[in-house]
Amino acid sequence: MKGEIVHDGDIISFTGRFNITDIREVTSSLEGITASETILNFTNCKSIDASIAARIWSVSEAKKRKGISLLCQSMNTDIQKTFARFRAIDNRSIAPAPKRTLLYNFEDIGDRVLATWDTVSGLLSFTAQAFRALFSGKVRGPITAYYMEQSGVMAVPIVIALNWLMGVVLGYQAGYQMKQFGGELFMPALLAYSICWEIGPMMTAVLVAGRSGSAFAAEIGTMKVRQEIDALEVMGFNLYGYVVTPKMIALFIVMPLLVTVANFAGMAGGLAAGGFFLKMPSAVYIAEVRKALIPFDLYWGVVKSFFYSTIISVTGSYMGMRVRGGPAAVGKATTSAVVVSIFLVILVDALLSLVFVHLRPGLSL
Amino acid sequence: MSLSIMNLEKSYSDISGKNLRVLGPIDLSVQNGEFVCLLGPTGCGKTTLLRVISGLEQADCGEISSEKGRLGYVFQQGALFPWMNIESNIKFPLKAAGMAADLCRSKAEEILDLVGLYEFRKSFPHELSGGMQQRTALARGLVTGPDLLLLDEPFASLDTRTGINLQEMLRNLCRRLSTTVIFVTHNIEEAVYLSDRIVVMGHRPGRIVRDESLSLEWPRNRLSSTFTEVLLSFRHTFEELVDPSISS
Repeated sequence: MKGEIVHDGDIISFTGRFNITDIREVTSSLEGITASETILNFTNCKSIDASIAARIWSVSEAKKRKGISLLCQSMNTDIQKTFARFRAIDNRSIAPAPKRTLLYNFEDIGDRVLATWDTVSGLLSFTAQAFRALFSGKVRGPITAYYMEQSGVMAVPIVIALNWLMGVVLGYQAGYQMKQFGGELFMPALLAYSICWEIGPMMTAVLVAGRSGSAFAAEIGTMKVRQEIDALEVMGFNLYGYVVTPKMIALFIVMPLLVTVANFAGMAGGLAAGGFFLKMPSAVYIAEVRKALIPFDLYWGVVKSFFYSTIISVTGSYMGMRVRGGPAAVGKATTSAVVVSIFLVILVDALLSLVFVHLRPGLSL
Repeated sequence: MSLSIMNLEKSYSDISGKNLRVLGPIDLSVQNGEFVCLLGPTGCGKTTLLRVISGLEQADCGEISSEKGRLGYVFQQGALFPWMNIESNIKFPLKAAGMAADLCRSKAEEILDLVGLYEFRKSFPHELSGGMQQRTALARGLVTGPDLLLLDEPFASLDTRTGINLQEMLRNLCRRLSTTVIFVTHNIEEAVYLSDRIVVMGHRPGRIVRDESLSLEWPRNRLSSTFTEVLLSFRHTFEELVDPSISS
């Protein structure tokens, strides 16, 4: 049944089914409205498509700016769902009835939980497949070297700069507070622990997630959009071995080195802060740091970096592989890769901290 | 390579989470060496069917049975690897199959010669025209000597003249290699010109509405009255399939 529009004073009734072919009629009916409040009645309307909903919404927005409000009433569930995509519309009946609110919210929560579970289970399965390919496949030397250069060598300046600055800030702030109590001599130890245990590895992981995790997602996502991934699959390639493992291996090699560089850069920042703000001789600073740190503290950053490498390379690749549709989906995948990677890095860091206090010699709660 | 599809169905979830059947049930059998065109309007599930046949997507139910053999796939936009030159792109599936380097090179050179791209073998995809890129994609699809070649609207983005040239080249290559071909298109003339058999698909859900072997002689003359008759007949079927709400 084709859509029909009936005007009755300040009420406009939509009857039947509306699709793109009715868009002119809908537009002219709505644009002619001059009353300050008009009701759009959908009691006898069976369905509308997204183009009609979009037009009603855009005209409604334009009218609202002129002080004219359009109020939608008595929509069926399908029409409400179509309109739900354009929530900005001023609509009394779109808001679910109080009785339905609870159910709607539960449904919404359920949908989100299921979507999150899908992502988590997909990511775990993807990780397992990637490790299987890692241990069973060949290493693609040149491409692994390329990723090592991109993710490692190119990241060195920013890793040094950022961690040095973190060291300066921490050194100054910790030293300033400690000076109040004459305890500035403890600043080097505090700074060395903070940098080696947490800040060095964490800042490096966040930086690599932002630089390389996003690049991995964008690269694989673009390959998906251009059907290059499909072409590889049809040719019989193991996608995990061909696309994912070079990135994993590259990060496994460069991340420990970057973390070590970051640790030293951070401590050098503390040295600068000690010298400039606390007038602490560098020999004293170095001696205090050497007294505080044991080799385990430096190895711990390396251990953490293996976990972070896995998270960043696998999450970036997984988000890229999930791309469906056009280039816009690549952008979303890139964002998701960074957000999920950083979240997982912090989560794993928290879990590792619990292990750390039991493993490190000389540390007890 | 012969192929048999029985009761194949495929669904996707739409925005509201509802299950939407896009394909099936489909029953289709393709004989060894046959050139079959899947013809239908946009969105009728032709590409989905091709992806299910190739294994890129899983069907919800139904069965596909075929003899064991090599598979070639030519994508709509070529899907050439931009970081490789033309020769490497063509050699790539051979390397994947574990072929020796010397043999890979000689096979690649042979197919490059056939598609007329030998002189451009060291060029990269972005340095070539759309027609040359599609010729490369065809060469890559054919280089392994596939028993079944799947083509997904490979000439859709090309101008008419280039498209016609490539159609002739494809048909000659496939006849020469006796490859079984499933060719997806929405271009009726292309389907009538190329195929031994045309399978017309309707949409919502995608299903076979007409399946007919063509008795046109080869080489085909696009201006002959028999060609035009067949063309008009399929055009009539095709126009009935188009959603009346869109055409009005």
